[in-house]
Amino acid sequence: MIAFGILIALKGVALFISHEVSRVGFVSALQLTGKNHMPQPPIYDVCVIGSGAAGGVIAKELCESGAKLIMLEAGREVPLNKFLSHKWPYELPYRGFRGEKQAPFYQGGVSSSIRYEDCDSVSVDRIRVVGGRTVHWNAVVLRCAERDFKGWSVDGIEEDWPLTYDELAPYYERIEQMIGVCGQDDGLEIVPAGKHYLPPLPWRCSEHILHRATKHMGIPLISVRKAVVTMLYDGRPPCHYCGHCMSGCDVGALFNSAVAMLPKAQRTSNFTLRQSALVREILVDREGLARGVSFVDTQTKQEQEVKAKIVVVCCATVESARLLLNSRSPQHPNGLANSNGVVGRYLHGHLGGGADIYLRELEGVPPFNQDGATDHVYIPRYNHLAGKKDYAGGWGFQVNFSSYMFPNHALRLHGYGAAYKERVRKMQPGYLMLGAFGKTEARAENRVSVDSHHVDEYGIPIPIVHYRFSENDLALWHDKNRSLMEICSNLKGEVFADFGGAPGGFASHEVGTIRMGKNPKTSALNSFCQAREVKNLFVTDGSCFTSSSEKNPTLTIMALSLRAADYIKEQRRKGGL
Amino acid sequence: MKRRTAIKIVALSAVASGFDAVGANRFPSSAGMGWSASDYKLRFFTAQESELLDQLMEMIIPSDNHSPGARAAQVNLFADLMVATSSVAIQKQWREGLKQMQEEAAKSSLADALAKSAAQDGHPTTDLEHFFAALKRMTVNGYYTSAIGIHQDLQYQGNTYLTTFPGCPSPKVHDHGGSGATLDDAQGRALPQNPCTASKNLPRAAGSEPRSKWWAK
Repeated sequence: MIAFGILIALKGVALFISHEVSRVGFVSALQLTGKNHMPQPPIYDVCVIGSGAAGGVIAKELCESGAKLIMLEAGREVPLNKFLSHKWPYELPYRGFRGEKQAPFYQGGVSSSIRYEDCDSVSVDRIRVVGGRTVHWNAVVLRCAERDFKGWSVDGIEEDWPLTYDELAPYYERIEQMIGVCGQDDGLEIVPAGKHYLPPLPWRCSEHILHRATKHMGIPLISVRKAVVTMLYDGRPPCHYCGHCMSGCDVGALFNSAVAMLPKAQRTSNFTLRQSALVREILVDREGLARGVSFVDTQTKQEQEVKAKIVVVCCATVESARLLLNSRSPQHPNGLANSNGVVGRYLHGHLGGGADIYLRELEGVPPFNQDGATDHVYIPRYNHLAGKKDYAGGWGFQVNFSSYMFPNHALRLHGYGAAYKERVRKMQPGYLMLGAFGKTEARAENRVSVDSHHVDEYGIPIPIVHYRFSENDLALWHDKNRSLMEICSNLKGEVFADFGGAPGGFASHEVGTIRMGKNPKTSALNSFCQAREVKNLFVTDGSCFTSSSEKNPTLTIMALSLRAADYIKEQRRKGGL
Repeated sequence: MKRRTAIKIVALSAVASGFDAVGANRFPSSAGMGWSASDYKLRFFTAQESELLDQLMEMIIPSDNHSPGARAAQVNLFADLMVATSSVAIQKQWREGLKQMQEEAAKSSLADALAKSAAQDGHPTTDLEHFFAALKRMTVNGYYTSAIGIHQDLQYQGNTYLTTFPGCPSPKVHDHGGSGATLDDAQGRALPQNPCTASKNLPRAAGSEPRSKWWAK
């Protein structure tokens, strides 16, 4: 009976995906088909740029409130049945070494249309596909703690956010329920918990062994909180534990904006998705308010315009800053909403560096399936528990988010021949991986700029990234490495650390380039993600962050987007926008 | 057909009506790649170079009682494709590296030449040592992504669809401090295969069937 129920439900979600998402495309095509007479182009209530974590929330919420909304996405949809997640390496031309599994999501040469100048070892992850980066991610969703919003008050660096944990907590709660989060409340202040978690992921042997070590050291280790449904939830089938979150989930158990959000917007009939629409600039009226956008259709190369009363920018940190900086006008000669020169500045993200460990306890056991849902446990920040440090901030460890299929140690073990081959095989079941995500400091000198000399194939200036780690970042990085090696010393096995000589970033977690803040001189947005200088312009992706803790940013991006959506709804009701 | 497999097929066939995205079909399946087929034509290496590569790679990951090695997995053909699609500078390094290896081998034997090149594994300084590093990396990358490396040697059990995750099936490593799965979850469950690959009769070594009670031995 239960099985039958699942069958029906699964069938339901599959049909839902195929109809709803594909209709999304057809509607947008119809919308732009002209008739014999010259119709007035529609003026949308809202134009959302970007379809990822932030854009999905805005679209769903505002469409459900009755707003006529158009979403512009530079990429195209990749239907779930075209995902290459389950392909074996030998079914791929280069065995997956050239990113073939994820390549369908990185459309139009997006990865190469960027420059790095005066940079430490950082790279930015930009994508073009319906769903944005939620199409493939490890989906660790952590709330920021009260102290994470108070950099200045607690640590004396950066600035306090213009809102507190308590103000954001109800939105965290709502968004967690909306996206489906597995995990549990561990009662830790540093990772505030929600009230509505789905069952946590069972721990692997290596995670039990790790827990034994960390418990001994007084370091907490908890079940990960992850936007993966471990049971049928909201029409989404449960996780099937294939370990392919980072290649995309072919059933939608992993939260994906294109599967879990956009169909809800579509169902209201207020929603239009325009794919292959790369926005060139945001257009303004005589008063300097946003009146719409101009975009280039990447398929036909045609330039088009969309008119809207409100524009919400959700293109992710680097692209959003690029867009505002490229939106110059006599009213905004410095780029849109940028008279104080803050837009593009305060770029930061996470620093990384972890270790692969091969546990002796599991060496030589017959291989067993450990894929799971990538991360199953998480080590939250702990360096604050032992008193104040001479640097600000901390790090958390994500555990086991790398694939179990490839024996990474084979590249690190010395030697060759029969004994080497046997050693590789025997060690593989003991694989345990710790990956750090450490805070970096938000600093004005780290930034995204544009330059008319460097343009993409459509003539749009590309982003140029300037980034240096700060002294605080380096101090934190060194202490993190020391602490990681201490954890490893409490584990019996072979350890391969991957620190190198210097930190690297941003682990896809770049934020901060169009920051919110209390101080109008050092921020562009108020706490509702609304541009101070352009009241009908909102930026709700990671660029709105005032500062970053060690937590993965996506849950906070979605909670802030939800709060901004509520604010927009209220302002629309009042006639303020 | 297992129940879960049936469910998956229903789900997948229903999803399949979504329209095609640009780029999603850019990559051909293995059928067109000829990894293990005899029709692969060398694109960069000469026949002699490829044969030398094959000998060296088989020495790095040899066939043994447990599983076939790099030769059976045709890792030299993988290397050919990877090098053929690399920069001219990298191609030059491979050509010169093989030549140098050949010259070393002429002094005594290929085994001695390989041993010499591997003397500083992990900390290469000479050209020959750098070549070994590239050669070993290519061998590892090619072998452990081949069907032989994945299924016969490592006996990898994943990339499949499970109804529940077994967690840790060993009672010995439980520390009673976490939220781990219970032992009952993992006992000897026959797991359905990925419907996308189930029909392919993947090669498996004798005795490579999953054993769920490995802790009991």
